[in-house]
Order: sequence, then structure tokens, then C-alpha cells
Amino acid sequence: MRLPEIARTQAFHWNTFRGSLVASGLFAVCVILIIAFIYWPTSRYVTSSIDRLITDRANMFSSLSPQERLQALQQHLSEDPRRVKLAGLFDSQGNRIMGNIQSLPRGLLLDAPAQELSLVRIDAVGREQQTARTVARKLEDGQTLLVGRNTDELTEMGHTVERAVIWGLIPALCLGCLFGAFLSIRTQQRLNQVNQLIQRIVAGELHERLPVQGSAAFSELARLINGMLDEIEALLRNVAAVGDDIAHDLRTPLTNVRMTLERGRNKATSLDNLKASVDHAITGLDQSLTMVTALLRIAEIEHSRRLVGFRDVELAELVRDVADLYDPIAKEKDVALMVDAKEEIRVRGDRDFLFEAIANLVDNAVKFTPECGHVELKLCRIGRKSVVRITDTGRGIAASERDLVTHRFYRSDKSRGEPGLGLGLSLVVAIVKLHGCQFAISPSPTGRGCVAEIAFERAASQDS
Amino acid sequence: MPKVLLIEDHDETAQQIMDELSGHGYEVDRAATGIEGLDKARAGEADIMIVDRLLPGIDGLTIIEVARQEQVRTPVLVLSALGAVDDRIRGLRAGGDDYLTKPFAILELIARIEALLRRPAENRDTVLRLGPLELDLLERTATRDGRRLDLLPREFRLLEYMMRRKDQLLTRAMLFEEVWNYKFVPQSNLVDVHMGRLRRKVDPPGQPPMILNVRGEGFVLRAPS
Repeated sequence: MRLPEIARTQAFHWNTFRGSLVASGLFAVCVILIIAFIYWPTSRYVTSSIDRLITDRANMFSSLSPQERLQALQQHLSEDPRRVKLAGLFDSQGNRIMGNIQSLPRGLLLDAPAQELSLVRIDAVGREQQTARTVARKLEDGQTLLVGRNTDELTEMGHTVERAVIWGLIPALCLGCLFGAFLSIRTQQRLNQVNQLIQRIVAGELHERLPVQGSAAFSELARLINGMLDEIEALLRNVAAVGDDIAHDLRTPLTNVRMTLERGRNKATSLDNLKASVDHAITGLDQSLTMVTALLRIAEIEHSRRLVGFRDVELAELVRDVADLYDPIAKEKDVALMVDAKEEIRVRGDRDFLFEAIANLVDNAVKFTPECGHVELKLCRIGRKSVVRITDTGRGIAASERDLVTHRFYRSDKSRGEPGLGLGLSLVVAIVKLHGCQFAISPSPTGRGCVAEIAFERAASQDS
Repeated sequence: MPKVLLIEDHDETAQQIMDELSGHGYEVDRAATGIEGLDKARAGEADIMIVDRLLPGIDGLTIIEVARQEQVRTPVLVLSALGAVDDRIRGLRAGGDDYLTKPFAILELIARIEALLRRPAENRDTVLRLGPLELDLLERTATRDGRRLDLLPREFRLLEYMMRRKDQLLTRAMLFEEVWNYKFVPQSNLVDVHMGRLRRKVDPPGQPPMILNVRGEGFVLRAPS
């Protein structure tokens, strides 16, 4: 299998870079918007203040008598260190009477609100073209009064802001792009490294691990993936071990079958002889088949989540049936099989599976209990649980083996001589898991033998 | 000659089943795909059908369902590689009469076909008789030549089942399913042990045996000749 990530590397690289480009662009737009929102209201506020000021002045000057007006205008123009005040008085022919404006500018509206005009200023310093807010008033004697204020300062301020935006933003954008490129390249290098490692892992080098370093996000991800790899490696090793066990346990009967058939072919002197060999071989093959079937069944039960077959099961009846089934075998072995299942307990489950699980436990108990021993099969309630308990007086299970016995194919060294598949308890565990109950094996309190328990959690509705 | 319709896509399996069935005196018609199988099933010419669960085209269970909807009453034995409980229940719900999980012994298949073909008629007799053997179903008593047999309840049910299916090969799995009523193949020779005990009671020494052990395959109950 080949991971497609490597092929998409360049596209991914460009994506990261494009991301930072877009981010920088958005940043610039935001900055421009902020400045615009500050600049426009400010300049409008300043303009309207100027307009109010010059309108007030114009009104004030026009209300004065001609003599006073001249004086006031003189006074007004003399206090102007920054050369922003403009005023002029013109006769009805448009000739200047006094003031610092060369002539009536073109486009001048009389007795109108303030307007922006370009005019020529004349004073002690010299002539100068200026842009100004102006108000003009027609006076009663035919003269025209012009009051204005230079706004070049305001325009200059606008230009300053513009320059600031341009000279501030260009480096910021460049920096953003550079940083984006740097980030995307670095991320890309990391990803390439991870990709290569993962490819090696996929190729079978399961011991490889990702480096845990760099940014928190990356190292956290690496840690998670490494944890997953640990788990997979352990599982694989487990599977391999089970596979070895299966191969080993299958080889024994198959070798026997082969030998039997070979001997039958070479040594058989009659048809009956040959048939006997073949029968023997078939028994051996059946044993192998049983083992494979049992394994498949366990896998099937383990993977089964559907509970289609679940119904109410009378545990007492089930337990009595199991006891009834094993009674003759126990008697033949001179083992006393005692049943105590008086309480009627109903659980939700699959009748056949539960029977199989309990039968397996009784089978084991009877198998491992020596002559004159006894096996007790008991159904009872303990607290909120319904418990099926199988107690025997066999040789028991050592504490070190108690977990192992539920593993597939595990057989205690002491039981190697007994017939069996070593699959019984794994089957029990699978069935118990499917039913959501608990299974436990513990040493018998009397010191001899062991106790196997299947405990069902009782639902409230099943309380009687 | 009973006719068997075998719907099975796997050539080798089909050939083996066909050989074995022909050897046992059956006439076998095989369909290799679901569509062909459904056509032949609808025709209703067979006495019994063996249907593989997984088929190309139409699924085995669908064939059974469709046939049953069209009032085809032919008994059906379902074969499947899937042994999970759900699957078995679905097979029987769809209208199958029996269910066998692969891999199976060919004789198990023959025995089950035989059993399906010779399903005992519902009879209301309260006394079953076979040769010297007599079973009173009301009194729950059994006698051989008038001598009372002391049977446990389970042994009584075992004998009753065998008497209803006299002269038929009954495999361990069949006995276990029918008499104990659990679908489960016990690991030890449990059925043999039970049968041994029943046999000691039914066939006392010196009398011709009625319960015959067919080596490695199962048991037959037969009247002494």
C-alpha cells in the first residue's frame, strides 16, 4: 500500500503558503478600514468646525458698520502667525478694497453655505495659491465680503496618513508572506519526515516510531500515533503467537492422520484393515476440523454485536439441563455432580450460548476432578447479581495461570495429557462478554479445587 | 427415487454432495446460481432442497423466502459457512427446515435429508410400538417384551425420539438438538454416554440388540429381525 500524501506534497505546500497570503491580505484590508474610519470622520469634523467658524466671522463682519468692519478685518488678519486666515473686501466691480485675497475667485457663490475654493493669497510674505473653505456675503453697499480658512493642512494630513499606510503595510505584508512561507516549509518538512516514517512502517518496519519534538500539537500527535503503533505491534505479536499455537496444535492430529494413512496404505492386508485406518484418519481430521470450527466460532461470537437471538432464558432450567447432560459422565468417573438450582432466575440472553458456556465449565470441572471428588453446580442470588457457580475439588488453577487459562490454546502443563482443545475457556469468555456479564475463576475456599463464576447483573424489571 | 434440488455455487462441494447423494439413491438436480436455483425451486419438482446460504445473484435466504411466499412447501436444508446464532435464526425464519454449518460430514447431511424426507406424520397414538418395544406416552412407561424398563426422563425422551424415527440414522448432533433441545456440539462423547446407558436398559444381554451404533456416525433404532 502506498500513501497518497507524498503525491500531494507540493499542493499542500502551496496551500499553506496561500493561507498565509490570504491572512496577510485580510490584515491589510482591516488596517486600511480602521484608518479610513478614523480619517474620514475626523476630516469632516474639522471641516465643519472651520465652516462654522468662518460663517460666524462672516456674519459678525457683515453686521458691523463699514468703519468698524475695516478695523475688525485688520485686527482679524493681523493675528495669523500660521498664515491660514483669509479675508477680503471687494467693491461692486470686484476690485479689492482690503484683505489678503488677490481677487474674487471664480465659482464663488454669494450668501451660500461654506464652499471649497482655490484662491491666491497676497501678504507680506508674498503670493501663494491656496485651497480654502470660504463664505461670501453681499453687503448692503454692493461690496462683497469674503472670509476663508486655508485647508492645505488638512490635505497634508491626508497625505501623511496615506504615506503611513503604504510604508507601514508593505513591509508588514512582506513579513507576513515570508513568515507564511517559512511556516509552510517547516510544516512541510515535518510532514515529509512523518510521511517517510509512516511509509516505512506501512512497509513492515513496525518498530519505527515518530520523533516527539517541536511544537506541542505535533509532538502530541506523534505521541498518540506512537501509542497506537505500540498497541498494533503488541496485537500483531499476539496474533502471530496465536497463529503459531494454532499451527502447532493442528500439526499433531494432522501428523497422526498422515501416519495412519501411510501405514494403512503400506501395511493393510484386507479391506477391513484399510477401512479401519481410514476411519482412524477421519477421526483425526474431525479433531482438526473441530478445532478450526471452534476458533471460528469464538471469533464469530467475539465480533457479534447483534443480539437477535436474545430472549428471556430460565437459568434454573438451563443449569438443571447441563447437570442432567453431564451426570452420566460424572458417574462413570465416580465424581458426584450436585445441582442446586431452586431459585427461578430469568436473564436476557441466548439460550444455546449460555448452555454452551455453562456446559464448558462443567466439562472442565468434571474432567479435572479426580475420582471420588465432587462438582457442585449452583445457581443463586448474591446482592443484585444472579450467579452461576461451579465448584470442583480438582487440582485447581495456580494464581499465576488464572488469567492465562482464558487465552486461546492455553493449557496448563499439568493438563497436557488430558484430551481437549484448550479453547473451552476462551469460548466461555467470549460468550460471557457477549452477554455483558462477569466471569471469574478463583481458588476454592476449602483449599482444593477452584470456583468458576458467571455473574449476571440483574435488571430492575427482573426483580421479583 | 427421491429428487433433490441442490443450489450450491461451489463446484467441488456440489460434486461431492451429488456423488454421495446419488450413491444413496437420490436423483440430484443442481443449480449453480441463485437465479437458476430460484427458477427450479419455483417449479416445485424436487422432494427436498439443499440451499447454500451465500450464492451469486440471489441470496439463498431470499430464494427460500420467495419460494415460501409462492406456497412451495418443499422441505429445505440450509447450508452455510456462517455458524453464528443470528444467521441460523435467520435461516430458519426465512422458511428453512434445518440448518447445517460448513464444514460438515457428508453423512450428517444425508442423515438430515433423510430425516426431513421422512418426517413422522403427526400421530395421536399414545402408545408407540416397535418390535418388542412399547412406549406409553401418557403413563411415561417403557416395556420390552412386557418387561418394564426403568428409564430416567431424559432417556425416555431419547427413546421416544428414536422410535418416531425408527430405521433412520440419527447423528449425535441431531439427537442433541432434538432431545436436549440445544444447538451445540458437545466436545466429549456425551451423547454416547447417554446412549450407552439407554442401551443397557433397552438391550439386555442375551436379547437381539435394537439400538445399533453406526461407527463414527450415529445410531439407528431397529426392530430385531
